[in-house]
Amino acid sequence: MRKLLGTMLLMGCAAVQLPAQIRITGLDGLASKAKATVDITLDSSMLQMAGGFLGANGKDQDAAKLKELLAGLKAITVRSYEFKEDGQYRREDLDPIRAQLRAPGWSKIVSVSEEKELTEIYMRTDQGKVAGFAIIAAEPKELTVVAIEGTIDLNDLSKLGALGIPSIPIPNQGKDRNDKDRNKKGKEE
Amino acid sequence: MNLDDELKSALRREDPPLGFTQRVVARARTKPVPKTGMFRMIWAAGIAAMLVIGFTAVSEYRQVKAERAASQAVVALRIAAAKLNMTRDKVLKLEN
Repeated sequence: MRKLLGTMLLMGCAAVQLPAQIRITGLDGLASKAKATVDITLDSSMLQMAGGFLGANGKDQDAAKLKELLAGLKAITVRSYEFKEDGQYRREDLDPIRAQLRAPGWSKIVSVSEEKELTEIYMRTDQGKVAGFAIIAAEPKELTVVAIEGTIDLNDLSKLGALGIPSIPIPNQGKDRNDKDRNKKGKEE
Repeated sequence: MNLDDELKSALRREDPPLGFTQRVVARARTKPVPKTGMFRMIWAAGIAAMLVIGFTAVSEYRQVKAERAASQAVVALRIAAAKLNMTRDKVLKLEN
């Protein structure tokens, strides 16, 4: 009886965890049509190794920041396909992923739908902190899906400019910074 | 027959059977030669060298794996950042 209760409890925990784990499915057939493909899947152990490598080899502050950022992550999955021509994928191909992102815990924070483009950003919060986010960017000749799980401060991510990561102020995450960046952009223009 | 006579009979002197000495000498010659100190040192050095090579290979493999993971993590974050930036630009464009 105790074993049965224990098993049920474990299954319950697994069921609670399931919505957090986004599986990028339904896009495998696109790789053969694409002229360039990025397929990255990093689990927590790989991220730990990556952090260790950056800590050991990166002497600059950015490497340290990147290591700190990676320490809070549990998984990174990226699928990106670049095509020669339009119409190599259908928006329905994204349905299995979007269905997962409708699960409790996830919320769509940005959605921009244009004639031939669709961009959506989803976020999962846990106790008021960002516990994961997902990006779907569907352009005529490019399709990108990013799923990042774990504690992540998007402002920290935006600060990693020196490694080639552009500065990205995120709405509702540090209004001052957004204002500063807008002013900066205004001055540049 | 009393006990003394029995003991004397049992412990009486007897000559060894024919070829006994030759057999003992032959068996003594076939005994394994004890390992010398040099032989043991060569073995120990060989094992130590194998351990060092194994350890180096494993740590090299881990290093390569970690390097690859780090470069993939940077690329993944770069793509995520670029797409976030692109979305921000689209939102700002729509607002204006």
